[in-house]
Parts: sequence; structure tokens; C-alpha cells
Amino acid sequence: MILLTTLGYIMIILGSLFLLLGALGIVRMPDLYNRIQAGTKATTLGALSSIIGVGLVNPNWFFKTLIIAIFIVLTNPIGSHSIARSSYKSGLKPELQSEIDEYKPENIQDERSDLR
Amino acid sequence: MRFRDYLSLFLVIILGFIIFQAFDGTIDNGLNIKQFGEVNLSERTSIHYINKDVNNESTQIIYNESKNPESGSANYVTSIIANYRALDTLGEITVLFIAAAGLAFVLGDHNKNNAFASDASFIVKIGVKILFPLLFLLGIYIIIHGHLTPGGGFQGGAVIATAILLKFLAYKDYKLNHTGLTILESFAGISFLIIGLIGLYTDGSFLTNFLANGTIGTLFSAGVIPIIYILIGIKVGAELSGIISNLINA
Repeated sequence: MILLTTLGYIMIILGSLFLLLGALGIVRMPDLYNRIQAGTKATTLGALSSIIGVGLVNPNWFFKTLIIAIFIVLTNPIGSHSIARSSYKSGLKPELQSEIDEYKPENIQDERSDLR
Repeated sequence: MRFRDYLSLFLVIILGFIIFQAFDGTIDNGLNIKQFGEVNLSERTSIHYINKDVNNESTQIIYNESKNPESGSANYVTSIIANYRALDTLGEITVLFIAAAGLAFVLGDHNKNNAFASDASFIVKIGVKILFPLLFLLGIYIIIHGHLTPGGGFQGGAVIATAILLKFLAYKDYKLNHTGLTILESFAGISFLIIGLIGLYTDGSFLTNFLANGTIGTLFSAGVIPIIYILIGIKVGAELSGIISNLINA
């Protein structure tokens, strides 16, 4: 039991660290497409490990925290995908111009319109 | 002005006279409504509720053990919303109904298409397909456990309406069945009133808790409170979904 509690606290601290890094990234990154990396990837991992850590510290809540974690895993990436896609479609250009743009219509080989 | 207009003016004047008579404290009219500041507070119901013990005795109420306490709901916010002040809640859902009906009168045109030009992307569609039943289930859970945990009819209804909103966001051709929504709303509202009238018939006051309370903290407890909260959940969910549908199809 003491092992579970220690593991839980370590996960909470790790999650808080990731959340801090995500917040720093939102301040430091130059444009939306970079910020969305910090705002989604870092916070997904941070929130996940904090919540699972709480579930490990207090095992009665484990399944409830698991349900919250499943909802975060399902919703957070979809939300960030929607934001990034709509800003690309509305013509927002990245701050640093790069050569690679795989989402250009002429670069998509697959003809299924679903993927566009 | 036609005869009908004179008649309605006459009726309004009569009604105003009656209301004025009823609330004029200087006349003894049997209604016992006194002017502001002259009311004896100990004659009002609220003072009875402030100064009372549950069941008029100071027994300790133990979660999952005590049987038939006064209200029976483990979440006492719920016992206020759906039992002591249920008439107030009836007014609240009426306000929501009138807001939804007004919106439907102004914007309701079910033949129009959605405001979105195209479907959402593949990822969003698959995500909504997975999330919709989970959110619906979560809403039903919140509604059913309204007398045990925080939450209840209003919150669960809002969660269900959010699930419907996700469907609208993902599919541009998604349409709600407004006839079904109307049937659900009317069923919930009428059942609420019927439960209140049964309480009036059996125990002598409107919307009283006429069922046995059971053991506090279990799912089948608190008498009529979960039934009322389920009806509120159905009504709120249907009305908020109708509002979302009308706004998106506007």
C-alpha cells in the first residue's frame, strides 16, 4: 500500500511538471500550430498522470479517475485537431515558413474526401 | 372598439380590483395577508422549518442505515429542490419551457439546413461516434443519482443536450425529431403535475413526498424525489436539445 501511495505522489508531481511545461510552452511558442502542441500534448499527459496518481493515492476513487482519464484521452486530441484544422482552413500561416506542408490539397494522395 | 374588447377591459378591471382587495392589509378579507412589517413571523411556514428537528427528535442520521428520515435524500440540496421547494422548481422548468417556446416561435424552421457548409473531419466524426453514447450514459447516471450525489435533473439534462450538440457539430445533415421532443416534454411536465396532485390528494399538500423513504443513501430511496428529478431531467434535456437545434438551423 505504501508503494502505491508513493507511486501515486510521484505521478502527481510528474503530471504537475508536465502541466507547468505546457503553460511555459504556451507563453514561449511563436504561433498557434506550435502552441497547440504545448497546450494539448503536454496537458494531456500532465492531466492524465495527475488524475491517475490521485486514483493510486486513494484506491477507492481509482475507477472514477479512470473514467475521467478515458474522457480526457477521447476529447483532448479531437479538440486540438479541430482547432488546428479550422485555423489551417481559414488561412492562418505558420510564423516560421517551412518547406513541408503535407496537408496541402495537392499533396494529399488519397482521394477520399473524408480525410481532407 | 368591439364588444369583445370592452368585455376584456371590464374583466381586467374586475381582476385588478380583486387583487387590490386581497393584498390590502387594512381590510379583513379572510386571506390573512398583512401589510409589510406587520406580519407575525411565527405564523409563517418558514419559521417552522427553521426551528425544527428532523422527525421532531434529535436522532443521529447514519448513511446507509437510517430508515425513513424526514426527507430521505442523502443530498439535501436535492431534498430542497425536489421536495420542500418543488413548486419553485416547477416554476423554473416553466421558465425554461417558455424560453424554448419563444425561441422556437422566432427561429423555428425545421426545413432549413444546418449553418455548417460541410461535415466535420473524419477524426471528429469517429470521436463523436464513440463519445455520444458515453455522454448520454453519463447524463442518465447524473440524473438517476441526483438524490445521492451532486448533480441531478438540470445538470444531467444539460449533459444530454451537449451530446446532441456534438452530433450537430459532426454531421451537417443531422436532424432532431421535434415531434418526439414535444411528446417527451409534455409527458414529463404532465407527470410532474400529476405527481403533485397525487400528493395533494393523499397527504393534503401539493407535491408532497407521499412514497416511503427507504434507507438513506441507497438508489431506491427518498420516495418521490428521484421520480421528480428523472422527469426534470427528461424535460430539461429535451428543451435544451430543442434550443440547440433551433439555433443551429436558424
